[in-house]
Amino acid sequence: MELAVDAAQSRQLPEFLERFASRAARMLDSVWGAVAVFRGRETDLYSTVENEAVVSGALKSWIISSARESRIAAVVRALPRGEAASPVGQAVATSAVFVLISASDGERLGMLCLLRRRKSLDAQEKKLLHALASHAALSLENFRRFSQLEKSKRQWVEDIDAISDYIVVHDRAWKIVRTNRSLASHLGVPPVALVGEAMSGLRQIAETGSDLPCPFCRDTQRPREEYVAASGERIFLVSTSRAPGVAEDDTRTIHVLKDITDRREAERRYRELFDSIQEGLFFATPDGRFLDVNDAMVRMLGYASREEMLRADVSPHLYPAPAARERFLLALAERGVLRNYEETLRRKDGALLHTLQNITAVRDAQGRIAQIRGLMLDVTEQKSFQSQLQRERDFNQKILNTTQSMILVLDTAGLISYANRRCYEAGYREDELIGHRLVDWVEPSHRKDFEAALETTANGQQVENLELQVRRSDESMGHFSISLSPMRDEQSAVNNLVVVMTDITDAVLLQAKLAHSERMATIGRLVSGVAHEVNNPLAAILGFTDLLLENPEVPVSAREDLQIILQETQRTKDIVQDLLSFARQRPVQREPVQVNTVLRQTLKLRSYDFASHGVEVTEEFDETLGPALGDAQQLQQVFLNILNNAYDAVQETGRRGRIAIRTEREANSVQVVVTDNGTGIADPQHIFDPFYTTKQPGKGTGLGLSICYGIVRAHGGEIQCWNNAESGGSTFLVRIPIAAEQLAALAAKEAGR
Amino acid sequence: MISEAAVDKTDPILLIEDEASVIAFLKAALERKGYSVVNASSGAEGLKQLAGGKYSGVISDIRMPGAVNGAEVHDWIQKNRPELGAKIILISGDTANSETQALLARSGTPCIEKPFRVHQLISIVEKTFGKP
Repeated sequence: MELAVDAAQSRQLPEFLERFASRAARMLDSVWGAVAVFRGRETDLYSTVENEAVVSGALKSWIISSARESRIAAVVRALPRGEAASPVGQAVATSAVFVLISASDGERLGMLCLLRRRKSLDAQEKKLLHALASHAALSLENFRRFSQLEKSKRQWVEDIDAISDYIVVHDRAWKIVRTNRSLASHLGVPPVALVGEAMSGLRQIAETGSDLPCPFCRDTQRPREEYVAASGERIFLVSTSRAPGVAEDDTRTIHVLKDITDRREAERRYRELFDSIQEGLFFATPDGRFLDVNDAMVRMLGYASREEMLRADVSPHLYPAPAARERFLLALAERGVLRNYEETLRRKDGALLHTLQNITAVRDAQGRIAQIRGLMLDVTEQKSFQSQLQRERDFNQKILNTTQSMILVLDTAGLISYANRRCYEAGYREDELIGHRLVDWVEPSHRKDFEAALETTANGQQVENLELQVRRSDESMGHFSISLSPMRDEQSAVNNLVVVMTDITDAVLLQAKLAHSERMATIGRLVSGVAHEVNNPLAAILGFTDLLLENPEVPVSAREDLQIILQETQRTKDIVQDLLSFARQRPVQREPVQVNTVLRQTLKLRSYDFASHGVEVTEEFDETLGPALGDAQQLQQVFLNILNNAYDAVQETGRRGRIAIRTEREANSVQVVVTDNGTGIADPQHIFDPFYTTKQPGKGTGLGLSICYGIVRAHGGEIQCWNNAESGGSTFLVRIPIAAEQLAALAAKEAGR
Repeated sequence: MISEAAVDKTDPILLIEDEASVIAFLKAALERKGYSVVNASSGAEGLKQLAGGKYSGVISDIRMPGAVNGAEVHDWIQKNRPELGAKIILISGDTANSETQALLARSGTPCIEKPFRVHQLISIVEKTFGKP
């Protein structure tokens, strides 16, 4: 017991063990004693200093290895040969006693080793040895615990000192008990220098703002406190614990000051960014509840405040179609991150919001989505603008593509850069339009006009309804109405020309026809009136001339004059008759007429003249032609007049005359085309006017073709005349409607085919 | 009262024509052949005379100024003086319009077109009214 206390109090383990070994040796009549202490694989041997000299190094090694080997509580072994220890003046030791020193948990702490002369141990000695061994064990154990405590205490201080947070402990008297190194070094002194100082001295670090002598205490009644204390430039999170001290009336207060200046700043900046950013930011749970949203997000979705959005489960309202939310969650679960995800959401007021979102899923340890974080852009305006733009574009495209006008865009050099669909429908190919000059399509004699119009437009002025001949895709020339408009860039400089072209050939022809037939009708009415008025006096002249001639009292010389009057009156009568024919005053016999037959009969009348004057006549008759409806007699007159006209025309040229006659069916008419290679007609517009003649005076009345016109119109047909573009001469075209029954029969035949 | 008796050849021919020179010529030509002629210078006057007198036949111009034209004279006779229905000769100044054409075709009334020769006139008058 005495030893144990001794050992516990001694800090010098070797000294204690040596003393213990020496005392044990004396008590058990040994020449030498030692304690072997096991420290892991090492073994330290502590022995009596005064008898050191009697034990050789080799014997010590033997003792250590024997001590380690020995597994039983006590054993007596003979010393190896030649290794007897014999201190001066004492008996020679020949045996060694090993007694195990084991801890209370059975751990082998060491061995007590004694060298003795006597081999055997009596009961008294054994009892003593065991007492000594347990004594040593207790002491070693205590010692080890004590040193561990010491070490741990030292470590603790080091650990505390290693903490960068400031730690200070004070007592009830507001005196510093301890500080750690970081706090002391902040003040520029060693930690021990502060012990015993007043806490108020630390006011320079930071203050909580209380009246207490300690700048970090607020409510001394509470065992724990946490608050933020600030000095000029730093911010600290102060964590305070209050614990009873060693003395019963003492309380230790421990303050830990964490410098959170940087964190605070980072937080403040983050929050500022979070709130000031124009994009909506949100944190939400996967089930759709918002954890945090910024002001922009609140504004975007039309809520009154952040709190309102966080309070309610707004997601059912947010998604107009629940399926859209499912789709979103599925996509997020699959990819984890959604970039530029387009979603239509519903604002609080019900209006739809088009958004563009960037979403990140935050997963827990099990890989489940724990949180959804996202950034949201309001693209409603862009979206509606975009769709409006699209609608406008579609609308314009539709106009461009459905208009019956050809629309082209030219650059200022006159090259085509765009052509609408109509151009291609008209047969032009893209490769002959795009990149080519539009002027190349204009009839050469009109190019100057077109170029002038281009220049005018390039100078910013519109040109409207320019009428030009333009080459069609099939190489034919068409009559086009062309309008040119300048197109301006942002600087309002003309950079393109828009050309709208409409083929008005048919309209022009129709208009000309209409004007012509109107004019002819006017002339017809005039002629009819004149003829009627002339016929009355003519009837009197003719009648009285006849009466005079019948009068025997009239002398022969006067009779001759009367004959001339009679003759000229007859001629006048004929002219008036012709005029009336033109004016359609003669009834038309409507019967089925074989036009080919009428033509052949007519040709027969003139065949002698044609043959004798070397005029070649070619016939190209469609023998399947059905009958036309009309008056054979009158039609013969028409053809005769046309043939006479052709004959006169080819006679005048002096070259070999050729007249080609072709018949064919054209829609609901029989068409007769008579082409000659004669002189052509000076003015085709007026050829059918009464008294219009190109012939020498006396050669014709100028009524022949007018009569033709009247007859054909009375038949409900059509007569035209033009000069041949290439072969010279002129062409007459006559159309007479096909008989109705014939048409019906034809229709039936076609239907039955 | 007008008798129901057949046309008496000795009665004059009623000539309805607005043109004085034509009346003069027709009168001269017919009288020279032995016909007696009474004339009216308009359709209306012609109808008045027809209502009040006896005639062996009527020669009427088709186109006349005034309310009554030749076709109407023709129709009036057919209705009111049927015995004169086949004793009408019409004169046209031009090729008749389609309405008149239809009338001519329907009734078979002879028509003579201005200008005409004396022999053409006499031949048609003798054929229609008989010799005087």
